[in-house]
Amino acid sequence: MRRPKSGGSEAPRELVSAELVERCKKGDEAAWAELVEATHREVYSLCLRILRDPDDAAEATQDAYLKAWRALGAFRGDAMFTTWMYRVAANTAISKQRGRKRRRDHEVGGDDEMLSQLPSAASTEALAGARIELETVEAALRLLPEHYRAALVLRDVYGLSMEEVAKELKITETAAKVRVHRGRKKLKELVTSEQDE
Amino acid sequence: MRCAEVREMIPALAGEGEPSLSMRRHLLKCRGCRGELETYRDLLASMRALEARPVQAPDGLAAKLIAIPSEASRVDQMRSHVARNRAAYAGGAAAAVAVAGAAGALLWRNRERSSGGSRKPSRGWLAAA
Repeated sequence: MRRPKSGGSEAPRELVSAELVERCKKGDEAAWAELVEATHREVYSLCLRILRDPDDAAEATQDAYLKAWRALGAFRGDAMFTTWMYRVAANTAISKQRGRKRRRDHEVGGDDEMLSQLPSAASTEALAGARIELETVEAALRLLPEHYRAALVLRDVYGLSMEEVAKELKITETAAKVRVHRGRKKLKELVTSEQDE
Repeated sequence: MRCAEVREMIPALAGEGEPSLSMRRHLLKCRGCRGELETYRDLLASMRALEARPVQAPDGLAAKLIAIPSEASRVDQMRSHVARNRAAYAGGAAAAVAVAGAAGALLWRNRERSSGGSRKPSRGWLAAA
């Protein structure tokens, strides 16, 4: 699949109507089913893009929806529901990622090591003008170190503001900007090297 | 501006913000840096397009998510039932402990009695002999 020409980090697209959310807030289970049908693929994808593991992503998705159901009353509707749901999911996935990281900290060889083993990037000139396949970008995202991946997924895939990214990652806005900046550079290297092969 | 300086700023520039005047001047005359900027813009556009291309969710996940309200209300009902009847449950637990204690004591006493014959004779028995 080819990428669309319009880029940037605009806000996420809204997947459900305000009326549907209101019905859910009143405890309407049929409305909830409709909301789940409309959003669960996106939410699962977000969790998978952060966590990489399908089982972890499914678990995080369930936890996120349970949190959302319980916190729906607090959703005031001044932000888009999709953005709010993405934040709930991101928060859940990142907490899971932290727990997972603590468990496997003793393991040798991290993501940075994996990155250093990848082929070096091709020249910019060779890539300039080429359109980047979505599959290539998706694959390259999976190779990024966790801390860059989460920041990039939230900012550049799901369009969260830098302030929201910082909040979700529990870091300062400056640190979030640095992660996004470095993440983009690493991702570009990965994409370029993959396209060059 | 030099290429190295411009290229350092390009990842941020491609996502947010406008180039400064000196940067624009450099980009106008430097084909390599323009290409670099275009590459990052392509990359960001592809990333943004991923949102609209969700991956396949596992079978059964949607059903589990749809069941959350009924599951949550069942758990909540159970919790509130326990909270409401905390005193009764505590009383029941205390009564169970008391009954178990009494039963244990009774068993112990019966065992003591049944093993009484094989024990050393008491002083009273010796006196009678």
